[in-house]
Amino acid sequence: MDAQSEPAVVELRIPCRPEYVGVARLALLGVASRMKFSYDQVEDVRLAVGEACTTSVEWATKNNRADTDIVVRSSIADTKLTVDIIDSSGERREAPADQENDNEPESLGALLITLLVDEVTVTPINGGTHVKMVKYAG
Amino acid sequence: MNFSIDTYNMESGVPVIKLTGEVDVYTAPQLKQQMIGMLEAGANQILIDLTEVEYFDSTALGVLIGGLKRMRERDGNLSLICPNPRIRRVFEITGLDKIFDIYNSADEAKIAIQLVP
Repeated sequence: MDAQSEPAVVELRIPCRPEYVGVARLALLGVASRMKFSYDQVEDVRLAVGEACTTSVEWATKNNRADTDIVVRSSIADTKLTVDIIDSSGERREAPADQENDNEPESLGALLITLLVDEVTVTPINGGTHVKMVKYAG
Repeated sequence: MNFSIDTYNMESGVPVIKLTGEVDVYTAPQLKQQMIGMLEAGANQILIDLTEVEYFDSTALGVLIGGLKRMRERDGNLSLICPNPRIRRVFEITGLDKIFDIYNSADEAKIAIQLVP
């Protein structure tokens, strides 16, 4: 197998609940640490993946889907890390502002992801959302 | 989970919430509860010490923004101690370093807050 063209894949499945987001972050810390990323870039990946999973958890809570899972799939190429975060948290409908939470962590999370990785796409899939992010090393 | 929350009062009486570890979607609700408690007790200055924090996400930022908003409604303030550049970077890239008063140490915060009437 050609190591250059076939990325290694590390896949993790976590319950879509707040207490497991840290597990995904820890896994990505391990994945990113073994690539040619700087210390700051590893932190960027950890934070971006944490934010994506947090958004999944928040939607699962809103949509009563906390019993679902999040799949976090890392594809490790030479200088390119692709992370797919696939949830079954239901549709991400724009809800009226929550009076109890008058801050906007979700849009802050989206802003952070955009700033921390090189490419990000968010695609609705059947029953959930697929977030793909790419970070280049070097 | 690697997280703890402690509170104490500065000599001036300003309450301090000292956080340790990871502040995220799982642990940030504890920060929120602690802040609400202080607000209900009538605090108009709160200091959040992030010196020992190693991870801080958007949920935690949201809690701080909510707290700051409520403090400003009563002409108070919510300030931060954050010497860790990695955590400070989260504030900088979101532009929130311009919204919060962020100090490098408890001593720096003490001096600054005492200067504010």
